[in-house]
Amino acid sequence: MAYTIPFDWTGAIGDVVLGATKSEGGTRRISYRIGGGKTLPFLETGPVSPAPLIAFEICDNPVFWPPLIRNYCGDLTNNVAEWAKTAESAYGADMVRLYLTSTRMRNFSDFASVKKTVETVLSATALPLIIEGSNEPKIDSEVFQACGEAGQGERLLLGTAEAGRYRSIAAAALAYNHSVLAQSPIDINLAKQLNILLREIGVQHDHIVIDPYTGALGYGFEYSFSAMERIRFSALKGDADLAMPMICSAADSLTIKEVREAEPGLQDEMAVRWEFFTGIAAAAAGAEIICVRHPKTIPLLRAAFEDLKKGTRPEAEVQ
Amino acid sequence: MIKGILTMTDVELARKKGEEHQKSKISTIGRSFSYDETAYHLPISYALTGIAVHEQKSAADVYAKTGNNPLVASECLLADTTAGKGKEPEPYTGFIGDTVIRKLGYSLVDGSILGLALVIGKPAGAGSAAAICRELQEKYMLTFLAGEVIPTLSGAGVKLGLDYRLIPLGSTPSYGIHFVDVIARVAMMFGGVTPGDTHRLLTYAAERAKAIVIVFPGLTDEEIAFADGMRVLGFPILSLGDYVGGSWIAADAETVVSKGMEEKGIRVNVTAIPIPMGCSPAFEGKSIRKEEMYVEFGGGRSPAFELLRLRQPGEITDGQVTVIGPEIESMKEGSANPLGIIIEVSGKNMKKDYEPVLERRIHNFVNYGEGSWHVAQRDLIWVRIAKEAVAKGVRIEHIGKLLASKFRMDFPQLLDAVAVTLITDAAKVIAAKAEAEKVYAERDDRIKGMRDNDVSTYYSCTLCQTFAPNHVCVITPERPALCGAISWLDGKIAFEISPSGANQPIEKGAVINARNGEFEGVNRFVKKASHGEITQCSLYSVMEYPMTCCGCFEAIALMLPEVNGIMVVNREFKGITPSGMSFSTLAGTIGGGAQTPGFAGISKNYILSDRFLQGEGGIERLVWLPSQLKEELKERLEKRLAAAGHPDLFAKIADETTAATIEDLIVFLERVQHPALGMEPLM
Repeated sequence: MAYTIPFDWTGAIGDVVLGATKSEGGTRRISYRIGGGKTLPFLETGPVSPAPLIAFEICDNPVFWPPLIRNYCGDLTNNVAEWAKTAESAYGADMVRLYLTSTRMRNFSDFASVKKTVETVLSATALPLIIEGSNEPKIDSEVFQACGEAGQGERLLLGTAEAGRYRSIAAAALAYNHSVLAQSPIDINLAKQLNILLREIGVQHDHIVIDPYTGALGYGFEYSFSAMERIRFSALKGDADLAMPMICSAADSLTIKEVREAEPGLQDEMAVRWEFFTGIAAAAAGAEIICVRHPKTIPLLRAAFEDLKKGTRPEAEVQ
Repeated sequence: MIKGILTMTDVELARKKGEEHQKSKISTIGRSFSYDETAYHLPISYALTGIAVHEQKSAADVYAKTGNNPLVASECLLADTTAGKGKEPEPYTGFIGDTVIRKLGYSLVDGSILGLALVIGKPAGAGSAAAICRELQEKYMLTFLAGEVIPTLSGAGVKLGLDYRLIPLGSTPSYGIHFVDVIARVAMMFGGVTPGDTHRLLTYAAERAKAIVIVFPGLTDEEIAFADGMRVLGFPILSLGDYVGGSWIAADAETVVSKGMEEKGIRVNVTAIPIPMGCSPAFEGKSIRKEEMYVEFGGGRSPAFELLRLRQPGEITDGQVTVIGPEIESMKEGSANPLGIIIEVSGKNMKKDYEPVLERRIHNFVNYGEGSWHVAQRDLIWVRIAKEAVAKGVRIEHIGKLLASKFRMDFPQLLDAVAVTLITDAAKVIAAKAEAEKVYAERDDRIKGMRDNDVSTYYSCTLCQTFAPNHVCVITPERPALCGAISWLDGKIAFEISPSGANQPIEKGAVINARNGEFEGVNRFVKKASHGEITQCSLYSVMEYPMTCCGCFEAIALMLPEVNGIMVVNREFKGITPSGMSFSTLAGTIGGGAQTPGFAGISKNYILSDRFLQGEGGIERLVWLPSQLKEELKERLEKRLAAAGHPDLFAKIADETTAATIEDLIVFLERVQHPALGMEPLM
């Protein structure tokens, strides 16, 4: 059933291309064109607006990863290439989001390894990549230079730019034609400001994905939801500086009390539920990319998106 | 030996001769040529015209198309020369490939390189050349070298190469053209300049490319034509002797770098403030009580004032802090001392009109100091320094350093130099204060005359949209923001300083309703900025389409139908008003970005504006004010009422002592025969 609700929107979400196939100058087996929405999510059925992409998050130093995922994924977490490969072949993700957690070690300076890791993951999986660079402004310049260079031609999505810290990412995006993940702390004004700052430095709108920052469901997600709603409303009402696709990561759900303190046998189950509901809520708020860390969340989200697209009640309910 | 004017090179003359040479040479290009490792052909020619030049015909074509541009000529001729002679040997780099440019461009966008410099010609001695290059390195500039300067530097043991940010392009100044082809490629790679879009390229070069050119003596006519040709890109050409005429800027070795950087607006960012106390907005709200205080200044206990003045560039030295009079050691603990704070600033974009707005920032900045405290403004200031801070070594001088650094950090687009003078000598403070008072009076006169009708542009403020998503403040000369903190001038300046910020210009457009202050342009803006929620906004009316409120208003104006008048209550008033509600209850009713006819959030000063209640027939509608607010505004309000033809109205405005309830108010207003009772009905 299609809904006809007269919103009188005047704008549309801009497109962003992620990944590049051989014919597009890269080595990915697929590339995605996200965005393009002309109304709220799941109101248009069929091919008009595709279902959100599901990205699986991995890292190159699991010390910084939730123990729950380390236990579930096991040895894979120590081998970033295998992990990335598995995300594609077994977990069924649409994208891989690589966190370069190795750069979080104190006094990190092995920038050659950054380049190597990105190259390794690029050859391990043929999916488009999201790369999360350093967490430390002092090494941003070297880290993003390495990421940008390693991924030249692959149209990566590079993260995470913030208002006080976007130059290196912007530079890498400009120099090597990647897109930028622009994060603001659940604030529409700051989201807009950052997009303007990025534009001023030269990053075009079709190279920006907004990360409105995603709180865990029940732990602030409602703020994220209304910030996202407002970003999308503004965009559809014609504000070009906010008319970009959005990305949400359910990562915060894995550290909440309900998951941490769940009985050992139920922990995975609990984690998957929280990730799932945070992800589905983020999709309802308009996110074009949903990122998860638990492999079991992926098929659930996919089934739910498909049902939402059809406008029917989900068949695969979460048990 | 003093060089006579006759031996100096006339830039204008040489340029003309040089351009003639170039013209004749272009027609004699015999080879075909191309550089390796680039997708941009001859980058300057390509960027300007979109034409890929590889032989004489296309070179002549581009040369003619660009109006015989000397840069195009230099580029083509050098490409021809290089094709004939081959690449120059190490250390010369010659043409630099795209991969390296991508990395360089990265550093420029990233901010790890602040700007680019080209140094060409033959320095008289190695010492000055080395000093100039060292200064360029220290100031995060990437320097390109061409000509005799290279052997001079390496002879003096200066290390050259990309790692040292000193790039030796070639053996003669003509290789300096590679500096321009680097910038042309950066513009195409990073600046979104499409080949052939001359206008965009020139704009990019002038506004984005932070480049300067330093010229030593000894350039040939052709080389002068090349160097002078770079002026079209907006690069300042600084010459070190030997040149007269033209538009080159004469400089000496000591100041050439800072002069060039200032000319091009390249700024080294200040990051840490070298003072022995913390400095952060986190300390802003912390007051220093009497027991914690080491010394104080002003506050009625001693003469004190503050003043910010605009000076011409060159009149002041950036970062200079001068203390005139005794330092803190010679002040008695617990004493009140005289103080004059004088901030002198210069900057290309700084205007005299901005002085009072920046001056107000002294208040914030002094409060940022962990052990310093500041209230009020102008000659009413009151400053304290804490015992704890003095024990840690804080001196008067450090307050100056704090101010100098903060002004530079917070207004990088506006200020190129900030110098601070702190006067503690009693006689000198009193003398300087008298001068400052003249400046205050001049400023007041300037602002006082400003009327809404005098300007076509108002300013918006959407700072509060963070929590009141659809609220839009419209700020006019006669109606400050409802929080009282932002005047029209502040809005104007805030927009100039940060063009993508929360204060945007609003073209007021055609008048829809002059009495209520409703304008086509304002409505249009408010509709967009309120995300379609508010379609009409009258600036001077409480009753019809009043402006929305966030939650920051200093006071609320509301209609009292029982008395056909308007009352105002300010935030400080804690009691119940004749409306039956307290300020906080009222605030809860009208805030959050809603438009509530009959209610308006206002600043206290707006009560004194001629526009206040214009839509309701004028200030005669004002029936009630809390006594404290009445007292605060007394002098100015009496003046305002007298000017409106109601010298006796002040006494007729009730307060909580004369009318606590609506019943009391009716009785009071009838007794004093308040004009509101006889005005046309509000509803």
